Amino acid sequence: MSEVYGYQNCVLRLDLTNRKITTEPLNMDWARKYIGCKGLSTKYLYEELEPGIDPLGPDNKLYFTTGPVTGTSVPCSGKLSVTGKSPATGTMCDCSMGGHAAVKIKQAGYDMIVLEGQLDKPGYVLIEDDKVEIIDADDLWGKGSHETEAILAEKYGYDHAIISIGPAGENLCVMSCINSDYYRQAGRGGMGAVMGSKKVKALAIKGTKGVKVPDAKKMVNRVLEFLKEDCLQEDNTYVYDTGTTAFAEGCGDGGIAPYKNFSDTTDPNLDKYNGDVLLEYRVGKRGCGSCGLGCGNFIKWGDAIVEGPEWETMSVAGGNAGACDPEQIIRYNQVADDMGLDTISAGDTLVWAMEMTEKGIHDFGIRFGESDKEVEYLKLMARGEGVGKDLALGVKKCSEKYGGEEFAMHCKGLEFPQYEPRGSWGMALAYAVSSRGACHMTSYMANDEVFEESIPAYSAEGKGEVCYGMAEWNNAKFSMCICDFWATCSYEIMTELLELTTGQKYTLEEFGEVGRRVTHLARAFNNREGFTRKDDSALPERLFTEKLKTGPAAGQVIPREDFESMLDQYYDTLGWTRDGVVPEEILKTL
Amino acid sequence: MKITITLRGSLTKRFGPWKKKEFEVPDNCTCTEALKSVGIDPDAIPNFGMVVINGMKSKREDRLNPGDELKAWSKITGG
Repeated sequence: MSEVYGYQNCVLRLDLTNRKITTEPLNMDWARKYIGCKGLSTKYLYEELEPGIDPLGPDNKLYFTTGPVTGTSVPCSGKLSVTGKSPATGTMCDCSMGGHAAVKIKQAGYDMIVLEGQLDKPGYVLIEDDKVEIIDADDLWGKGSHETEAILAEKYGYDHAIISIGPAGENLCVMSCINSDYYRQAGRGGMGAVMGSKKVKALAIKGTKGVKVPDAKKMVNRVLEFLKEDCLQEDNTYVYDTGTTAFAEGCGDGGIAPYKNFSDTTDPNLDKYNGDVLLEYRVGKRGCGSCGLGCGNFIKWGDAIVEGPEWETMSVAGGNAGACDPEQIIRYNQVADDMGLDTISAGDTLVWAMEMTEKGIHDFGIRFGESDKEVEYLKLMARGEGVGKDLALGVKKCSEKYGGEEFAMHCKGLEFPQYEPRGSWGMALAYAVSSRGACHMTSYMANDEVFEESIPAYSAEGKGEVCYGMAEWNNAKFSMCICDFWATCSYEIMTELLELTTGQKYTLEEFGEVGRRVTHLARAFNNREGFTRKDDSALPERLFTEKLKTGPAAGQVIPREDFESMLDQYYDTLGWTRDGVVPEEILKTL
Repeated sequence: MKITITLRGSLTKRFGPWKKKEFEVPDNCTCTEALKSVGIDPDAIPNFGMVVINGMKSKREDRLNPGDELKAWSKITGG
């Protein structure tokens, strides 16, 4: 193989059980087929994990993966893939974390960091180029993520990226996240608990190396053209102004904003906490490493400050909780981030608990509208104390214990993002077939069904193919480590960026094949863990039996046969069996 | 008739700096006709999204009444 640029050709592997630190070459055959970030980490996960292992045991691995364009002049390339087997679902889980850690890891000389085994006592990992140490973390264990970052930055310098877990991860809460840059997360699927099970409190990373490309001057000039002609045009730059706060009003207008635990979609108080209200309190802006768009908004309200909130958090602490207090939304976000909790999963669990209490099924001591209690309950969930001990299990396990399964809004144990599927039927399919449980990031069907209206929202026709098309595109894009918010980044642009960075050519078809391959492989991992159609079909009964009462989607419910038809279409498009299994002839090609 | 037109998403950048403004539009016109009358052609904007009348998602061919708020969205991606 001719020289491949862009990669550092180096994997840093930490055997925590034996405190052994090694490096090895990156598997460049896999890199050709899977590129980096999501794709490459999925391949490593599939090849290195035995089926059936305990996600919180020593045999799980945690992969922090960059891509060839990370650390270059390519805009919106600062995302870090965080991948492992999820303790929330038992499926594979890939998260995409913003901030600056991806760039620092690459500058330190690594394409990937792998944590395997478990430390015998809490520690953190210091990485400064070739110098890698495991250091005792007794003085950090128990502290919030924010205090941990502050201590490590003070000790080693603010030029270090800090990745950390909060008390939720330490206590192995299945909805715990991994934090970086205070307010960026690897949010879903309990990756914080995986790191906590390894007793790794944090990583502090600094790098001074560069990334080699074939012709830096040519690359920079072309990148400047891409910035001017595509990345920095208004279809992408609106996020600089609003972040995802714009989704509050958009989802409300479109009939897909959940209200009171997905029991309806009209929030009469949305204008009390929507983007216009929150952005009045903006005190700063931020972007990730190599970003061109700068979506981060710092909102300060009283003594609460957060980079956010994103739409998901606005919803779980706002309308979906029957609440409308913007200060509490900011406070909820800040506490969740510091405790190291996924705002979506924690929020969906809390709003489920509210409905359980109001219906008299089980009294969890919290009702709709009590957003101040949501904040207090977050701390209990993070520490596994009092009522938080049960709630920290998530809606799936909680509802199995107490009832209310028909309105426990999850798929495979991952709680729903904040898009009501009865207002956008394709989102039901997207949640069902996403490889990490209910996820909107792989196939964001609401874009076409609601915001663009290019396909009907309340129909099953053709949805399988559309859902797959989005999955292929996003799986290829996220394997490039390009941020979701460069929405107009085409295959043409990505393949040219890849060639400018690596020297390797990909045809458009070959690039699409990367996305297809990742879709197959993630599914194959889950098949190997026992997941099939029955698990995709197990969406909450509420979607199939309760009509929405108000709003643009009033009267909508998803007929079960239409949902199953969408599943059939998706499987057929990918060549899977009607049981949702990747056949052997496809497995051989991966 | 007088209606209010509100822009959202990238449309605020394309047609702003105004975000919400009252306009005189033809009586009983459709959403598309109203937008075209103020220089916004949904058919010519590749990233044009949904139209919303008085807070409810509507169709471009739906007709407006005096005093309505017509909101025009671009596509928005993310979450």
